[in-house]
Amino acid sequence: MEIRKFTLSIIVMNKFGVLHRISGLFSKRGYNIDSLTVNVMPEDERMSRIIMTSSGDDATREQIIKQLEKLHDVKEVKLI
Amino acid sequence: MLDASSKNQNQHETMSGAAILIETLINHGVDEVFGFPGGAVLNIYDELYKHRGKIRHYITCHEQGAAHAADGYARATGRPGVVIATSGPGATNLVTGIATAYLDSSPVIAITGNVALPLIGKDSFQEVDIAGITMPITKHNYIVKDINELEDIICEAFQIAQSGRPGPVLIDIPKDIQIQKAAFKGGKARPLFPLPPINQSSIEEAAKLINESKKPYIYAGGGIISSRAAAELMAFADKIDAPIGSSMMGLSAVPYTSERRLGMTGMHGTYASSMLGAESDLIIGIGVRFSDRATGDKSKYQENTKILHIDIDHSEIDKNIKSYTSVIGDIKEILPRLTEMVDQRTFKKWKDVAAEYKKIGKECSRGLNEDGLHPKNIIKTVRQYANDDTVVATDVGQHQMWTAQYYEFTKPRTFLTSGGLGTMGFGMGAAIGGAVGGKKRSILFTGDGSFHMNMNELATAVMHRLPVVVIIMDNRVLGMVRQWQKLFYEEHYSNTTMDRVTDYVKVAEGFGAAGCKAETMQELETALEKAFATDGPYVIDCIIDKDERVLPMIPPNGSIDNIITN
Ligand SMILES: Cc1ncc(C[n+]2csc(CCOP(=O)(O)OP(=O)(O)O)c2C)c(N)n1
Ligand SMILES: [Mg+2]
Repeated sequence: MEIRKFTLSIIVMNKFGVLHRISGLFSKRGYNIDSLTVNVMPEDERMSRIIMTSSGDDATREQIIKQLEKLHDVKEVKLI
Repeated sequence: MLDASSKNQNQHETMSGAAILIETLINHGVDEVFGFPGGAVLNIYDELYKHRGKIRHYITCHEQGAAHAADGYARATGRPGVVIATSGPGATNLVTGIATAYLDSSPVIAITGNVALPLIGKDSFQEVDIAGITMPITKHNYIVKDINELEDIICEAFQIAQSGRPGPVLIDIPKDIQIQKAAFKGGKARPLFPLPPINQSSIEEAAKLINESKKPYIYAGGGIISSRAAAELMAFADKIDAPIGSSMMGLSAVPYTSERRLGMTGMHGTYASSMLGAESDLIIGIGVRFSDRATGDKSKYQENTKILHIDIDHSEIDKNIKSYTSVIGDIKEILPRLTEMVDQRTFKKWKDVAAEYKKIGKECSRGLNEDGLHPKNIIKTVRQYANDDTVVATDVGQHQMWTAQYYEFTKPRTFLTSGGLGTMGFGMGAAIGGAVGGKKRSILFTGDGSFHMNMNELATAVMHRLPVVVIIMDNRVLGMVRQWQKLFYEEHYSNTTMDRVTDYVKVAEGFGAAGCKAETMQELETALEKAFATDGPYVIDCIIDKDERVLPMIPPNGSIDNIITN
């Protein structure tokens, strides 16, 4: 299948190790992180928005989204 | 600050972190825990002492054994298993146990002490970042950094461990948090997290697919057991008249007496389950993840077959295998709805095919010495001394596969085996957890290699008077690895011929247990008479042929075309 770049918006709780959880998930499952930025959400400081670009085929992209959704501190994952 | 907060909430009692932990465990129905003390959990152990009428602590010989025991307890009872360990080496000793629980979706709550918060990050004595280490092998984990969050974290850990697809959760509690005080709000168990509603149209689509099928095949896994849906599975299978192949994790969900039962699928699965899986036009995977060991070459697997995948974990859909359609949610809820919607069927021809393959399966894969002390005979004989509720644990290797193949399971939660991680050394701890949780005699089928990894826990079984019958399938080799060396490495038996001179009877006696050696079926019977009348553990060293193989075998990433039957 064709490898494509895609961008995810991930809203997370600002809990201990949350970035580690996300990057750990990527390394554990063999996914790529091409770039990543994190910003505290101005409207609610308990949360952050991660914008991440990654690459993979369609199946990988779907898996990445589902695996992210399973993390307890991840509140929302959107493909943008 | 602490004083202020306790004043603000003066309707609540103020307690130390360690007391909050133990009270909260008790309020979650935990009356038995496993563990091993040390400096960073002294306060927790002090509370265990104070609460000793309400919660019983089983000390093991090694934290790994305690983790496996908590896991075995959870698998046998369906309730979370709790394990406590100190910081540093105590915590790292849990790692294999936590990973084992994670791969088999077992609800284990691991509690570790850590150095006090000001010492964290300083490479302090017995400091280790156990939360970092266990992140990839837990469903979630915590470091408690604020005493006021402790109670909520513990309650949430229980929710996470048991909601949806179960799994282990670790809570790392620094020593100063155990000592500090906070208001205790009662530590009551909270309801499990709700699942998203089941998509009705996905059930309709599944029903349509099933109604179109002429050769349906059910592939049932551990999810059936987690969801307590064994009866629902049978009702469903009866209505669509389908045979059931099981993953190793799902074996105990289908009683051996059922005509529909094909036994295990996959690498060492039965001939019938492999053949029918390959020939069916619709594989209905329920609570399974289509792991490589269970499916072999997936491209072959799917050639003419549609896959309907039913699971509680949406990330399992299309992870290992692309499904034709899927239903996501709790199997216990899905199956009755699906059963109602599908047509009542009878497939005479398909049934005859199944019966024929079962017959062939019995004929092929004969062992070397089937009249003597052969694994099959050992397992079948032991079964006669057990009852339907007896919990059976295994270690990992040939003996594990033989147990999966030949032991006649009747009830869910009676088979404790490390499926996903394949952990040698799991068995002793698991059998202990099974005996504690089931409050009765458990059986361990182990190998000489595996037993050497965790035989120390025999002392635990003696200490707590736990009736564990240990059957060592003693081939004096790392049999499973040797089997691969024979088949795929030109019989280069590199480091698998142990020929250890260990005297297992003396080992048993040395630990304060009893045991004997069996070289014939007659000796085995005599030994079993004694074993099943003994108050504590009993070890039976069964001498078997080192060249006995586990058959049939589909080589790694192979298909039914490559099956080895003799
Ligand atoms: C902790 C661990 N180390 C290594 C292995 C690899 N391994 C799988 S089966 C096996 C042999 C087990 O020997 P034994 O317990 O005697 O069982 P047998 O196969 O002889 O019945 C080994 C070494 C493993 N599964 N787990
Ligand atoms: Mg062996």
